[in-house]
Amino acid sequence: MRGSWTMVCALLAALALGVCQWLVYVYAPVERSMGLVQKIFYLHLPLAWWGLASFFVVFAASIAYLRSRRPWWDQLARAGAEVGLLLAILALVSGAVWARHSWGVWWTWDPRLTTTLVMCFVYAGYLALRGLELPEQRKGTICAVVGIVAFLDVPLVFVSARLWRSIHPAVFAAEGGGLEPEMRLTALVCVASFGLLWLALTALRARQLAVAAHIAHLLMSRHEQDA
Amino acid sequence: MASALLELRGIAKFYGHRCVFRAVDLVVARGTVQLLTGANGAGKSTLMRLMAGLQRPNAGSCACHAAEGRVAYLGHATFLYPGLTALENLAFWKKAQGSRLTEADLMALLERVGLERHAHERAGIFSRGMAQRLNLARALLVAPELLLLDEPGTGLDSRAAVMLREEIVQARQRGAGIVWISHDVAADAPFADKVLTLEQGRLHEGGQGAATP
Amino acid sequence: MMRAVLAIARKDLTLTLARGGGLVQALLLGLLLLFMFSLSQEVGERMSPQGAAAIFWLASAFCQVLIFNALYGLEEVHGARQGLALLPCPVQAVWIGKALAGLALLLLAQTLFVPATVIFLGQDMSGEWWWALAVLLLADLGMALLGSLLGALSQGQAAKESILSIVLFPLLAPLLLAGIRVGAGLFAGRTAEGVTQWIGVAAAFDALFAAAGLVLFAYIYPGEE
Repeated sequence: MRGSWTMVCALLAALALGVCQWLVYVYAPVERSMGLVQKIFYLHLPLAWWGLASFFVVFAASIAYLRSRRPWWDQLARAGAEVGLLLAILALVSGAVWARHSWGVWWTWDPRLTTTLVMCFVYAGYLALRGLELPEQRKGTICAVVGIVAFLDVPLVFVSARLWRSIHPAVFAAEGGGLEPEMRLTALVCVASFGLLWLALTALRARQLAVAAHIAHLLMSRHEQDA
Repeated sequence: MASALLELRGIAKFYGHRCVFRAVDLVVARGTVQLLTGANGAGKSTLMRLMAGLQRPNAGSCACHAAEGRVAYLGHATFLYPGLTALENLAFWKKAQGSRLTEADLMALLERVGLERHAHERAGIFSRGMAQRLNLARALLVAPELLLLDEPGTGLDSRAAVMLREEIVQARQRGAGIVWISHDVAADAPFADKVLTLEQGRLHEGGQGAATP
Repeated sequence: MMRAVLAIARKDLTLTLARGGGLVQALLLGLLLLFMFSLSQEVGERMSPQGAAAIFWLASAFCQVLIFNALYGLEEVHGARQGLALLPCPVQAVWIGKALAGLALLLLAQTLFVPATVIFLGQDMSGEWWWALAVLLLADLGMALLGSLLGALSQGQAAKESILSIVLFPLLAPLLLAGIRVGAGLFAGRTAEGVTQWIGVAAAFDALFAAAGLVLFAYIYPGEE
């Protein structure tokens, strides 16, 4: 059964995320200045990291698609963009709550924040492109090109956002800094467990898209036989 | 075969699951005219676009031995820019193709297709027949070794049709290989060496043409 | 190859400039934007230099989307795209040719947008103009390179202006930030801080997307029927 490892992965993710809850609320100490709100960090960090990883998947799958023209890569790229956009938006929302509490504003020109927002726009545009009525092959090619270009843009956006901000006085201290060992361990475990969930989610979505394409294929050939 | 300009071997083309044609073999030799016929939708134009390299086959090989840039394709689309004059259109394709023709050459070409009086009029106001003549002039621009004509007679009046056949005969005498899609087999067969018919996805010979060397 | 590039660029410029092509639309949209934003000022108030620079680049970005849509639209009228595909030179010639034509048209449009910004948004250009000009040229080059690559997507009505701008604008963010920051310096009468770094960002953008276009353009253009 091809789907079995996804299932195993998902079950492991469920277990691991359960453990994470314990780590977050019992094991890791409550941060002194921020209090409970700091716990958002354990959700925010995995969201942001795996969101970026998703966009890298789009990039890599797009290159693979242009080289091999196998529909699977196209489907994987789409799954990566969908999951990535979801995670990036959630990372932004959780980040905004964090920022409101720790810096007193919902939004700042933090390079990471800005880059994530711009990426959200880019990949939302990418998915809008996916929604167009186009021949399958053509759409795959167009989206692959945009998927590659989009990822190349990320470091530039980051650098320019940092430059942009450096002009303003550095009112807002950068997050992170010295983490307690317990906190660091918790964060790492959270990232790893979330990775399992991410893997299962992306693989499942890609497979779903492949099955949908297969069904459309079968229906079409059936109609042609009828005709 | 040394004089073969174009060799198609076992070509197949599918649109999704629908097979347009399969196992098509075709050799175009220098100095020959092949008339390609078939019902509407038989896949003639698709086959020709494959020959031109505008589409890729799903199976088989397509080898073109004509010199680079000496292949001309004349399809349903006229490739003309309505905002440019007839002469400017030709001049653009000339430059883009890297050809060394002078403006006098271009005027001579326009004269050959009977458009010399309209050289400085915009292509946008041309009738279908005039646009088709200009299209033909564009195809002849490169002195083609391989000339692919997809219903070149579309929209042409009887005088222009005569001119078209003369150009085809001349190109054949110059040693060009010509594939010519036509609906009017009875009228065009005398100018062809061979008549080919595309039918139900297969290409077969539909009788010898009557061209004289 | 170079001959084909120049032939395409020249043909596109002739068609858009001399034959009333898409440029008027693009210019009008940009000027309208500048004018509409001037409504946000109170009487006698002067818009902040950064605001004015942002509006200028916004107008340029919209203008550029229309320009490249028009440039690629030219090839669709009578299927000339197939003719370009058959040219005995790499198809990248189309990308470079159209980028050149687009760059020229964008610069032309901006020669109108700059005075319009000064007039409608109450700016004066008291800063060091050569820095601003350098960044302007680099940013325009990047916009043209990427615009020409993504403009090819609009082939065959595959994507309308709206979708092109949705994909293009966020990707242009680094260039727009550079342009706005340095432009604001110009309007404010001082050299923007970190101007050399902004030039670096813009140059890196140009280099990256020049390479990307060179590799990727052949995949999306001309495309099968």
